[in-house]
Amino acid sequence: MVSAETSTSDEQLVEATLAGDDHAFAELTRRHKSRVFGVAARFARDASELEDICQDVFVQAYFKLRQFRRDSPFEHWVLRITTYKCYDYLRKRRRDGTAVSVDAMLESGYEPSAPELPAPHPDLERLHAALAQLSPKERLVITLLELEERSVQEIAGLTGWSATNVKVRAFRARAALRKLMENKK
Amino acid sequence: MNEPTPHPDDAGLDALFAQARALRPDTAAAEYAFETRLLARLRDTRSTDSVWAMVSWRLIPFFAVCVVALTIWQSQVVTETEAAEQLVYVENPNAFEAWGTLN
Repeated sequence: MVSAETSTSDEQLVEATLAGDDHAFAELTRRHKSRVFGVAARFARDASELEDICQDVFVQAYFKLRQFRRDSPFEHWVLRITTYKCYDYLRKRRRDGTAVSVDAMLESGYEPSAPELPAPHPDLERLHAALAQLSPKERLVITLLELEERSVQEIAGLTGWSATNVKVRAFRARAALRKLMENKK
Repeated sequence: MNEPTPHPDDAGLDALFAQARALRPDTAAAEYAFETRLLARLRDTRSTDSVWAMVSWRLIPFFAVCVVALTIWQSQVVTETEAAEQLVYVENPNAFEAWGTLN
C-alpha cells in the first residue's frame, strides 16, 4: 500500500492504483479534489449536484486510468474529465427542461451555483441567473474564460474544441449574456 | 493576443465577472470525507459490475441451448414445408403454374 506522503508522485500513485491499491487512488483524489470541486462548483446548482459531478469525475478517472497517457500531468487529465462532466450535466439539465427563466429563479430565491457562497450582490445574482440561461456550450466557455480565468488555448485543450471555435463561442456567449442582462435591467 | 476582443460596452459585465471571480465558492464542507464516500461508491460499482458479469457468464449455456433448439426447430420447419410443397405439386402440378400467372 502506498502511504499518503506528499513525497509520492502522482505517477507513482497512478501506478499503484493500476496495481490494485485503492488507497493510492484515495490519495490522488485528496490531492486534486479541491481543483475539481472549484471548477464543478461554478456549474452545480446545489451541494447535492456538486457531489454527484465530483464523484462521477473520479469514478470515471478510476475506471479509465489505463487510458491516462503520462504526456501531461494527472491534474490536467482530471480537469478535462471535470469539464466534460460539467458539460454533460448542463446538457442533461437542458434536456430535462429543468432550466427555468431568470425571473422564476430570482423570485424563488435562487441560490447561485455553488453552496456556501457569501451573500452576493443583486447584480451578481442577475449574472448567475443569466449564466444559467445560456446554452451549455456558451455557459461552459464563458465560465472557464471569465470565472476560471482560463486562456483560450487552455479551454481548447480542456474541451477538445479548436481555439477559433472557443473564441467564436466566447464571443457569442458574451453577446447572449449581455442581451439577457440588458433585458433584466 | 489570443483572447476574444471585448465589446466596448462590456465594462459593466467585466466588473461583474471580476466580482464573481472574487467570490470563490467555499466547497470545504462538500469536500469533507469525499475520498471515503468515493471509495464506497467504487466498491459498490465494482460489486454490481461483477454480479452482472457473473450472471452473464452463467447464462451462456442457457443461450447456447436456446440457439441449438431454434436451429433444430427451424430445420424441421423447412423440411416439413418442402415436403408439403412437393406433395401439393404431385397432387396438382397446375396449381404452381396458376400461382405464377397470378404474380
